[in-house]
Amino acid sequence: MLKKMSYSFPEDVLEHVFSFVTTHKDRNAISLVCKSWYEVERWCRRRVFVGNCYAVSPVMVTRRFPEVRSVELKGKPHFADFNLVPEGWGAYVYPWIEIMSTSYPWLEEIRLKRMVVSDESLELISKSFKNFKVLVLSSCEGFSTVGLAAIAANCRNLRELDLRESEVDDLSGHWLSHFPDTYSSLVSLNISCLGSEVSFSALERLVGRCPNLRTLRLNRAVPLDRLASLLRRAPQLVEFGTGAYSAELRLDVLSTLDGAFSSCKELKSLSGFWDMVPAYLPAIYSVCSGLTSLNLSYATIQSPDLIKLVGRCLNLQSLWVLDYIEDSGLEAIAASCKDLQELRVFPSDPFGVEPNVSLTDQGLVSVSEGCPRLHSVLYFCRQMSNAALVAVARNRPNMTRFRLCIIEPRTPDYLTLEPLDVGFGAIVEHCKELRRLSLSGLLTDRVFEYIGTYAKKLEMLSVAFAGNTDLGLHHVMSGCESLRKLEIRDCPFGDKAILANAAKLETMRSLWMSSCSVSFEACKLLGQKMPRLNVEVIDESGPPDSRPQDCPVEKLYIYRTVAGPRFDTPTFVWT
Amino acid sequence: MLELQLGLTLASNSMQGFDLNCCAGYEPKEVVGLNPLINKAMHQLSPSFSSRSDNGNQVDNKKRSFDDAFENNRAVPRTLPLLLWNNQPHEDDDPKDFYSHPSFAINQNNGDSVVGWPPIKSSRKKHCHQNNRSVENECGYGVIRSSSNYMFVKVKMEGVAIARKIDLTLHHSFLTLKSTLINMFGTCQEDSNCYKLTYQDSEGDWLLAEDIPWRSFVRSVQRLKLLRSTALLI
Repeated sequence: MLKKMSYSFPEDVLEHVFSFVTTHKDRNAISLVCKSWYEVERWCRRRVFVGNCYAVSPVMVTRRFPEVRSVELKGKPHFADFNLVPEGWGAYVYPWIEIMSTSYPWLEEIRLKRMVVSDESLELISKSFKNFKVLVLSSCEGFSTVGLAAIAANCRNLRELDLRESEVDDLSGHWLSHFPDTYSSLVSLNISCLGSEVSFSALERLVGRCPNLRTLRLNRAVPLDRLASLLRRAPQLVEFGTGAYSAELRLDVLSTLDGAFSSCKELKSLSGFWDMVPAYLPAIYSVCSGLTSLNLSYATIQSPDLIKLVGRCLNLQSLWVLDYIEDSGLEAIAASCKDLQELRVFPSDPFGVEPNVSLTDQGLVSVSEGCPRLHSVLYFCRQMSNAALVAVARNRPNMTRFRLCIIEPRTPDYLTLEPLDVGFGAIVEHCKELRRLSLSGLLTDRVFEYIGTYAKKLEMLSVAFAGNTDLGLHHVMSGCESLRKLEIRDCPFGDKAILANAAKLETMRSLWMSSCSVSFEACKLLGQKMPRLNVEVIDESGPPDSRPQDCPVEKLYIYRTVAGPRFDTPTFVWT
Repeated sequence: MLELQLGLTLASNSMQGFDLNCCAGYEPKEVVGLNPLINKAMHQLSPSFSSRSDNGNQVDNKKRSFDDAFENNRAVPRTLPLLLWNNQPHEDDDPKDFYSHPSFAINQNNGDSVVGWPPIKSSRKKHCHQNNRSVENECGYGVIRSSSNYMFVKVKMEGVAIARKIDLTLHHSFLTLKSTLINMFGTCQEDSNCYKLTYQDSEGDWLLAEDIPWRSFVRSVQRLKLLRSTALLI
């Protein structure tokens, strides 16, 4: 009787309360409380996130959540970014669009990452969802400007079109002209990945008639001397990405551009700057003090100019830059950018034989000392020491994402010639909130022991050219309680650790192992015994059982799923 | 061959509303009774770790006993491992085998690069290449001589998949060069006599390094290779 009393909240009260609970994690937790909460929750869920498009089927999703307005899907594993996943592996979005086109007529938002999106999919999207508002295609491929034209022409209520880092078959820039003259609801447009020129007058007219435009990221083909006229039409912009930022110095162009930037009082984020020439740097000085985000990772200016620029950006929270910044530039940042939270330093010459810039472990230590809010780091360099890593760990116990890439595999501590186990050990020991970690340099099983012991909140780990034996992998799989994604390449890990920790795999999203020592036998066993895992052996050189038994598989991708084996497996994937 | 001992799979029914986003998606059910073999194996794990660490005390305190790990930790489901971890050293754990295995799949690319390394997205890579096209190295091969104090040359050792690089400005004789190279590849010095140092000169020919004076060598060397003596026709 008591039971009945406590659960007699009317459904709309529950629904109202649930509407304040927004994160996916929390909504999922709510649905597990009891059957009635599960029912109420599933009817009022508006946003769904599927971290692996093969973990569940579109029918299962639409059946459970009938009233969804926003869907986010992720496809290929992360290492696909580095060409490790062969063409044709999968992650096709069409089956999802097909199902949703009938089940979710009121769908407003689709966000996709690392998926194959065909022009047909885009056309179907543009025709199926009358209130479609947001399309974000992050690192996607498989579509051309024809599909984009369909979106432009048919999505009357489109707010956001973001193609970040996708590979588009760029047939012509004409697609932009398909936005009708009456269309004026654009809020965000990111076409930075496109190769060819869009019709500039169409772009100008579009920008001019959309008063709510906040974000405009142009592609490289837009020349510098056109920027001013765009900015003048959209002084309300908050985020702006230039095209190629290079031209012969003409004072009239410089002063017009300077004037145009100055009129943008809301500007918080700048990007683009391909082939940047120092001569036009002063044009952006007027907005520097308001900037919170600056992406100079395509800007080829050198350290002294970079220092002059970032020295004015006192409110910077996120900086992406090439290693031209050098240690001296990072010291300057440590001194002026006290609000810095995220730093990414990319290599200007990653395949060069010798270092071309003076960027070392010292730069990293400087920012770790000077920037108290720094918690997310991606750093490419050529030398590192345990001492530096220990210093970073001690300085920044608030680190949440730490990705270090020492360019040459297996590089030891340059001071002691020892492995970098102790340094990374310090990182995981001191940074108790660490969620993401990428390792590099010379590393033994020892570093994995540290990781398994200390990295309790670690969710994603990337490993390359590290470790000695299966014990290393075992430490990680048995110790890292929060681990969701593990990606490994070129490590001497074999069957033992995976099989001994088979159960762990059902608590994770996925495991990727390439160029390791896992046998086909072990894969088959795992696939047989664990029906809720899909074990995919990716091997383009032929059937794995035609090779000798001790021959390791080329690539292995294991992920948990409730959808069973997939229907679109290509010939080079063996399950 | 793999020695497999399949443990009992405990009755862990899949949860309704399988939660893909929660890493602790399973609630452990009541443990009826564990296979004593499994128990023993788990206990073997803890003492074996402590013997490996130098900071024995600190690491020990962090290690969970079997009970701590499996009673209180919601994140690890009760399905038992497919292979018992017995932590005995195995021959097939020998890391050297890993690198000489024929299927060790590194795309050689003429030894110039490894597929997907360094981990940079293609859009960025394209941009790097465009920038560096203007940096033509005079010799046309793998060496960039600059006015700075470096002179890095690629080195390969026969039978080893990954190439290394060495700064020749740090050496003045073949003796120190060879000794350093042997060290780099992890071979012991006694074995150094089994290897001959060869180099590719500016005309593309492969020659024995010790046949010419050091100065001439440094001026014309493009890349190095350590070959096992038996492989040479001398």
